[in-house]
Amino acid sequence: MEKIRVLVVDDSKVSRIMMASVLSRTTFQICDYAKNSMEAVEKYRSLNPDVVTMDMNLPDGDGIECSRKILEINPNAKIVMISAMKDASLMMRGRTVGINSFLQKPINANELIDTLLMVCQSTENSIDVLRESYVKPFIKVLQKNLFSLAGLHSKVDLELDKDDFLDVTGIAVIIGLTGVPMGRAILHMDTQTMNRYSKIMLGMSEEEDLSEEEASDSVEESANIIVGRSVSMINDICKDKEMRITPPGTICGHRIRIVNPKLTSFNITASTRLGDFKMNIGFAEGE
Amino acid sequence: MDAKFVNPFIDAFMTVMPQIGFQDITRKKVSVKDKSAQSLGVTVLVGFTKQIRGNVAYNMSEETAKYIASTMMMGMPVEEFNDMAQSAIAELSNMLTANAATNLATLGYDVDISTPSLSVGHDFVVKISSEQYLAIDMDLSGHKIEINISLQ
Repeated sequence: MEKIRVLVVDDSKVSRIMMASVLSRTTFQICDYAKNSMEAVEKYRSLNPDVVTMDMNLPDGDGIECSRKILEINPNAKIVMISAMKDASLMMRGRTVGINSFLQKPINANELIDTLLMVCQSTENSIDVLRESYVKPFIKVLQKNLFSLAGLHSKVDLELDKDDFLDVTGIAVIIGLTGVPMGRAILHMDTQTMNRYSKIMLGMSEEEDLSEEEASDSVEESANIIVGRSVSMINDICKDKEMRITPPGTICGHRIRIVNPKLTSFNITASTRLGDFKMNIGFAEGE
Repeated sequence: MDAKFVNPFIDAFMTVMPQIGFQDITRKKVSVKDKSAQSLGVTVLVGFTKQIRGNVAYNMSEETAKYIASTMMMGMPVEEFNDMAQSAIAELSNMLTANAATNLATLGYDVDISTPSLSVGHDFVVKISSEQYLAIDMDLSGHKIEINISLQ
């Protein structure tokens, strides 16, 4: 099996020796060491390692700043931050620059290996798993329920969201997903589709007046049913994990941008005779 | 909604904000609101599951969001509410809510929180409850942050 190459950034010789001893006889191989920030950036550029372990305190700067420079070279660089203190402000700054994993000294060998393995799992692979095991149930349930709730036939399209944001004029119902994986599901549509759909849901004729509240409540309730049933389906298949849903939060208005910082998300569009019913299902990256 | 759920959020705010560089923090009024909040420009929604279910919505103007992001990033100038600033505000909401969740755990409630959803715009409302909910106004050096809490 091919070894996974690790660049260890740490100014302490003791820490470097400990790291070498933990990683010997594993699938990881230390390709080099860097003892300061400048060396780390240079070696990252020349060696292109699979993963970097980054000490927080370096003689010529802090590990977060050094990570930011590495992430400028490669936005998909995998970095595990290691520090004596694991305080909230440090983690917040780290996450803001794009570091997803943090470990506290003294390092526990198993924890280090688990974290490195998790960080190195190929992104492609995890996108496939998310699509097949977690997003496809949403498509099935969406189609089935558009039919059972409103007699609608739909043609469905699925794609990976490359924008990191969602622009909505109309309604968006946001439902959080907790457990593993963690994320959130959004059902959204324009105002006209919402109004047409709600009249059918409420058994009203085209001519009858519908209040804004009745319309948004109908969509909110539908989102709750669709997301709830999708998650039950996922839990039935993956019996070792339990996902839960939060109550809905509903956003209505014009030109709203919902941003997805650091989520891997998918867009589902169900085209019907009433208009498009869209869902965005996003999952948080590994901690 | 039970008023005992309010203090864990105020305590979280008072604990977390000084850690990331804010000194001048005051609690303003607590009010009862009905169903929806008009967004002030930037609204972050975080959901709760397990023993307590509901949502919290942090509501602030874009100016305030930029001011907070700048302070969080050690005074780095934030001219636009860009990706980095959005990411900082989402992360802050996550930290505040996680801290409140820990406070709720010490009261004996086992809770889990969702990933934050951040919305930006000039004309939208956020409905977090089908009934009444509580809103706390916090002041951060003259900037207002509204914490809307609907938990059951």
